[in-house]
Amino acid sequence: MNEGRVEEFTREIAALKTSGAKGDTEKRLLALGSLLMIVGVVLAVIGGVQVAGTTNAADQMAAIATGGLLGLVLAVVGAALFLRYSIGRFMRFWAIRLIHEHRSETDRVISRQ
Amino acid sequence: MTANPILELRHVSASYGAIEVLHDININVAKGEVVALLGPNGAGKTTTIKLACGLMRPNSGSLHIAGQDVTGVPANALARVGVCTIPEGRGIFPNLSVRDNIIMAARDRASISVIEERSYSRFPILKERRDQLAGTLSGGQQQMLSLARGLATDPVVLMLDEMSMGLAPLVLAELYEQVTAIAASGVSVLVVEQFARTVLGVADSAVVLSHGHVRFVGPANQLDDETLSRAYLGS
Repeated sequence: MNEGRVEEFTREIAALKTSGAKGDTEKRLLALGSLLMIVGVVLAVIGGVQVAGTTNAADQMAAIATGGLLGLVLAVVGAALFLRYSIGRFMRFWAIRLIHEHRSETDRVISRQ
Repeated sequence: MTANPILELRHVSASYGAIEVLHDININVAKGEVVALLGPNGAGKTTTIKLACGLMRPNSGSLHIAGQDVTGVPANALARVGVCTIPEGRGIFPNLSVRDNIIMAARDRASISVIEERSYSRFPILKERRDQLAGTLSGGQQQMLSLARGLATDPVVLMLDEMSMGLAPLVLAELYEQVTAIAASGVSVLVVEQFARTVLGVADSAVVLSHGHVRFVGPANQLDDETLSRAYLGS
């Protein structure tokens, strides 16, 4: 191993982010996604009730803006966050499971020989 | 113990749930040094490796690599830059060929032919068996493959957990010969081993753990039988 590799290693280590909270961040973003979906749906329902409860066009427009549009945007963003992080977690478990099954299968094949 | 260490665990304590298993331990590994981490079952050796490779976070204390505090950096990030851990049980992919196992561990932008050459020059038997499924290799050859995979990552720090598990003494001696050669090329090596005598012949320094406490730190040739016996059998 040459000195250049050690220097490269030292540079790369120095560039590492030391927050180390990725797992926690994932959990937080998953929870945030769930929360945004719920808030979005609640806002949409409230907006719908407000629109139905008034005949004033201006009030209806305001209710559509907050309830309908904002609620919809929050629900979509929340769903995207939820899917991204729940799928990421599922894929990791799936990959570990696959590797474990392959190992078990190979062990079975070898033990039969 | 060591000037300018590449890998340092400073005053590290760690626990599983409410049970503290490591108590204020200090371990240093310098460039090109082989440090043997010894101790009986349950001493905390594998936990120490988990802490040193980022798989586990300490309750207190810190992990320093190349002088940088990397406590809390995830294991995958450390592995990507050259902190290689070969776990107990080898961790190879049995359903892939020898060649595929080596290639998939290679660093980004690394030349596959260079990596293969590097691996096969150390372990010529793997060249003969490069198209064979890794799961069909003997235990010793699987351990060679796991070392070759480790080298494919172009490591600066190499950690080996219980390399001797299930291997014949002759095979083990051959493997430790390669570990010595790897360290001589400048790689810092931390070896966890339950069978002390096997590794002390190649280690520069030794750390003896017992019940999560460091009982001895120093040059491997200064580790006497009494200290070892006390660690393994109790006083």
